[in-house]
Amino acid sequence: MVGSVDNNSVEGNAGDVFYRTAVRTAVLSGLFCLIVGGFLIYNYVMRTGADERRVNELDELKVEVQNKPDDEQLIARFRKLDLQVRKTRVRRLDFSRRGGYLLFGGAIVFFAGLLWVVSFRRKVAYPKGGIDYDEIQIRESALSRRSVGVGAIGLAVAGLLLAITIGPEFPTGASDGLTLSGGLVETWSSFRGLGGSGVYEWKDEVSSSWNGKSGEGIIWKSEVSLSGYGSPIVWKDRVFVSGADANSREVYCFDAVSGERLWASVLPKIAEANAVELEVMEDTGYAASTMVSDGRRVCAIFANGNVGCFNFEGKRLWSVGLGVPDSTYGYASSLAIYRNILLIQYDQSYADAGKSVIKGLNVLTGDILWQTPRPVSSSWCSPIVIKAAGREQVITCSDPLMIAYDPNNGAELWRADCLGGEIASSPIYTGEVVIGLEPYTKLVGVRPDGHGDVTKTHVAWSVDAGAPDICSPVSNGELVFLLTTDGTLSCFKVSDGSAVWEHQLKGDFKASPSLVNGRLYILSEQGVMIIADISAGFSELAQCALGERCYASPAFADGRIYIRGVKNLYCIGSDSKR
Amino acid sequence: MAEDSKRSGRRGFLRDGLWGAVVAGIGGLGGFLLRKNSKDDTVWQIDPYTCIACGNCATHCVLEDSAVKCVHAYAVCGYCRICFGFFGPEPANIDTGAENQLCPTGAISRTFIEDPYYEYSIDEELCNGCGKCVKGCNAFGNGSLFLQVRHDRCVNCNECSIAVACPTGAFRRVSAKEPYIVKSVRHA
Amino acid sequence: MRRFLIFMYFSTFLSVGAGAVLGAERFPPPEFVETHHQIPSPTLPGPRVDVYEYLDVVVLAAALCLSSYLVLKRRSRKWILGLMLFSLGYFGFWRQGCVCPIGAIQNVTLSLFDSDYAIPLTALLFFLLPLLFTLFFGRTFCAAVCPLGAMQDLVALKPMKVARWLESGLRLLAWVYLGSAVLFAATGSAFVICRYDPFVAFFRFSGSVNMIVVGLCLLGVGVFIGRPYCRFLCPYGLILRQISRISKWRVTITPDECIKCRLCEDSCPYGAIREPSGQWDREYYVKSKKRLGILICLVPVLVFLGGLGGWLLRGVTSEVNSRVRLADRIYMEETGQVEDTIDASDAFRSTGVKAEVLYEESAGIVDSFGRGGWFVGGFLGLVVGLKLIGLSVKRGRSDYEAERASCVACGRCFEYCPREQVRLKNLREAVGKA
Repeated sequence: MVGSVDNNSVEGNAGDVFYRTAVRTAVLSGLFCLIVGGFLIYNYVMRTGADERRVNELDELKVEVQNKPDDEQLIARFRKLDLQVRKTRVRRLDFSRRGGYLLFGGAIVFFAGLLWVVSFRRKVAYPKGGIDYDEIQIRESALSRRSVGVGAIGLAVAGLLLAITIGPEFPTGASDGLTLSGGLVETWSSFRGLGGSGVYEWKDEVSSSWNGKSGEGIIWKSEVSLSGYGSPIVWKDRVFVSGADANSREVYCFDAVSGERLWASVLPKIAEANAVELEVMEDTGYAASTMVSDGRRVCAIFANGNVGCFNFEGKRLWSVGLGVPDSTYGYASSLAIYRNILLIQYDQSYADAGKSVIKGLNVLTGDILWQTPRPVSSSWCSPIVIKAAGREQVITCSDPLMIAYDPNNGAELWRADCLGGEIASSPIYTGEVVIGLEPYTKLVGVRPDGHGDVTKTHVAWSVDAGAPDICSPVSNGELVFLLTTDGTLSCFKVSDGSAVWEHQLKGDFKASPSLVNGRLYILSEQGVMIIADISAGFSELAQCALGERCYASPAFADGRIYIRGVKNLYCIGSDSKR
Repeated sequence: MAEDSKRSGRRGFLRDGLWGAVVAGIGGLGGFLLRKNSKDDTVWQIDPYTCIACGNCATHCVLEDSAVKCVHAYAVCGYCRICFGFFGPEPANIDTGAENQLCPTGAISRTFIEDPYYEYSIDEELCNGCGKCVKGCNAFGNGSLFLQVRHDRCVNCNECSIAVACPTGAFRRVSAKEPYIVKSVRHA
Repeated sequence: MRRFLIFMYFSTFLSVGAGAVLGAERFPPPEFVETHHQIPSPTLPGPRVDVYEYLDVVVLAAALCLSSYLVLKRRSRKWILGLMLFSLGYFGFWRQGCVCPIGAIQNVTLSLFDSDYAIPLTALLFFLLPLLFTLFFGRTFCAAVCPLGAMQDLVALKPMKVARWLESGLRLLAWVYLGSAVLFAATGSAFVICRYDPFVAFFRFSGSVNMIVVGLCLLGVGVFIGRPYCRFLCPYGLILRQISRISKWRVTITPDECIKCRLCEDSCPYGAIREPSGQWDREYYVKSKKRLGILICLVPVLVFLGGLGGWLLRGVTSEVNSRVRLADRIYMEETGQVEDTIDASDAFRSTGVKAEVLYEESAGIVDSFGRGGWFVGGFLGLVVGLKLIGLSVKRGRSDYEAERASCVACGRCFEYCPREQVRLKNLREAVGKA
């Protein structure tokens, strides 16, 4: 404090009046400021409190009015409240502005008064005696050094604590590969793998001999509670399959190394969606669609249009009911995924019924991001996501159109009027053309770099062929292989669709063929895998019997083969890999 | 005393040297930055193609009456009878009743031109920059309504508070001479 | 009617499938066949004609000249107070405190590190002019020209003495503030000086509630501790402190010679007056020389430790950057740590950029914060080291002086000096002679 002697003689009698005036000015203006400030605070509180409530009331009233658009009284009430809300808003803005100016003016007077008061109460300097400045200076320097040191250490400690608790969540090192674009070789996370191609390349040999009865070559075999004709999908160390019957829809997760079932999760019933009776053909079943995964979640769709999404621990993240699809043989299209968008090809009935649609759902929440109607009839094939002509495209086939969409927003990129019939074979992309099939009738190759209707411009070739009605084709880029349900394997050239050879296999075939390290792997309904070399015509290398009926196409991951039989899930390979 | 003056001489020399260095430093910094200098001052503006009309513009401006207002690019407008920026999602009737409008402050006016065209204009005094009409127009209409920073109101803060809160990063510094980004007709 | 409208609404929604988020029209342009109505153009107010910005620079230069004159030559507290009020009114309430020299630090930093940003001439001059004047005359900017300083000066009604060790310690906060402001501005992440300016809300008559409360608290504190923002937080003040130490002329309490009457000792509300330094005995002198030696050797260690700390803290400092925060959010959504999505993450996904690209970009930003952290942390370590050295060196003061770095040139001490009273002819010369 300035000086230690309270020197009242500064305020003489003559100054008394001025002093009192100064004090009064300060006090009065201070009170004025407080009052105005109080009103401004009240104004602010009202703006964020009562006004908000009135706006909510208004919203509710709006909904009521929409339900009863002819109620004159209701409308009048709404308009009155709306006018009140709007007037209040303007009033509050005006008040804050005017209040601000008033407060400013009051503050000026207040501070002027305060300064005036202070000018009366100035104390005279009266330095104390007997102070040893040397000692004080030395002590102060020491204390200051210490305080700077302590301060610096304190800041360092605070910084370290912060550094431990706060930090970036995302991976700052090399990507761990678990992203929404997938596409690793260690995964087979959708129907027929990446791009639905059915092609698998592995750095080592993939098993070509096993025997289901003796167990040779089979790493593990696990029972799957409910059956389904969807293929298994694999993500690193987990294998997923879905199964269903008339009452229940379930998703199962198995450990890829041991085959132990880690969890089984149930999709709940969704009332309105399941109101219609569901009838499916026995050959299709209730869980014919293959699941899809993005590395964090798995999604499954079932014959009644229910879609469920589970995380890798089995917790159900969301489920929606799309409504029972009007599909003659039962819904069978598998899911596809592009980044965070789950793609569902939902074809129904006939083209002119206008029921077919393709939907893009947000895989994080289940919300429909977009949906595009499709002028096509029912189909049982699956969409594929490819990158061609510099764009990401999702290709779909149905009667009569092959249509490509932009997976981000469902915008149609191109369409080709080149197909017909009841299509269950999914298209494939060979790097040059997209190949689609019309069962029993033809094989077409369409170049994917067009825009709009490309029927006349981008259909590279269209050949008559005894095309299959169920199995999807597989191609190594130069040759494409078709397999009919009764075992006719035919080979065509990708460049112009010309036939190269044909071979008759023994058995019935529902699973689609795959190309593994350049060799054909064909799985029959009887559970026999026929492995063939196709470098110069068809040359059978081996036949491996599983001993169980198989309808689903196999999955390949980590050098192993995952086959789903009607009862069990098998993992085939040689143990030395792990 | 002699020791003192020697010390002060050394100190004084050091001080003078440092002084000269600082002068040179300031001059250098000034010169360097001047060479980089832009002829124009910058102001803040919203890129209407990036903006998603989230509503932050109305609440985050340092001014109570936000400097961001809705603008109508008439050239892009379809002059629809049922304007998705004017009418709410399920209007009770197609008229200018408050219960049918999206705008909470009634800032959009609807004028009949000729059948079936109506013109929609915005009264800036009433507009609060909430962006509800922009959202509706972008989602279902031509996207002719968009938000812009009005430079007769904007205080041009060094760091715009709305820019900090914008979820899409739609705020940019633009030249003060051409401070508006107006939506135009695009031909596909 | 309503059903029809709902149908219209939904069918329009469905037919939206053909994309056209970016401008391809859904509805064709109108054709006015009957009325031939002219389509108006949108109303746009003219570009901002801010002639005031150049006037500001002129007024700033004039105020600086006047302030220097008033402090060094005229030596009148009344006039300084008057100029202070003018500056508060003009730079504060009229120009609403933006752009100010304190914030200009960030603009200068950004323009040095970001090739796309060029600092406007006015901001550059606002940064450089006070520096130049301080180089010549001492901190004459702080007293009578800075509006924030003026606000605090006016409320300093019952200023208490703050212990010197407390001041030294608290000033570290200002250095941290300066360092982080420079780091955040250099990486283009944020202008924190502007964001956390406590008084700008008063100048604008509107602002965030939090900052208004902080400003009021600071003013409240300022009643008892003079100029708290200036002494313990102002980053520009730190620069002015260092420059003021080497200024050509300085603020003196006495107009001519000091008679060591001690009457000015308690006159400074900001604790800037230093008494003449005493003698050190031999023993203490040797001890302090040893200590000085140790501290000088300690400086490189402190620089290294500070730099290391700055680098280690890159995870914390980078969170200020909006891109890094977005990457965090996207990752947390993808791994299911949070259930919902927010506007920003939805908008990001609709741009079509892959998440990995975002992660890579953000990792790069974190790295740049790491590099910047080495510099800023190292600089702070250097500051701590130099402070410690400065506190170990003997000052050769023979008079009562206003410490160059701390004196804000408010002029309150002038009238306490008897020599000044002699100059003003209120006292006769005889009192001055021993």
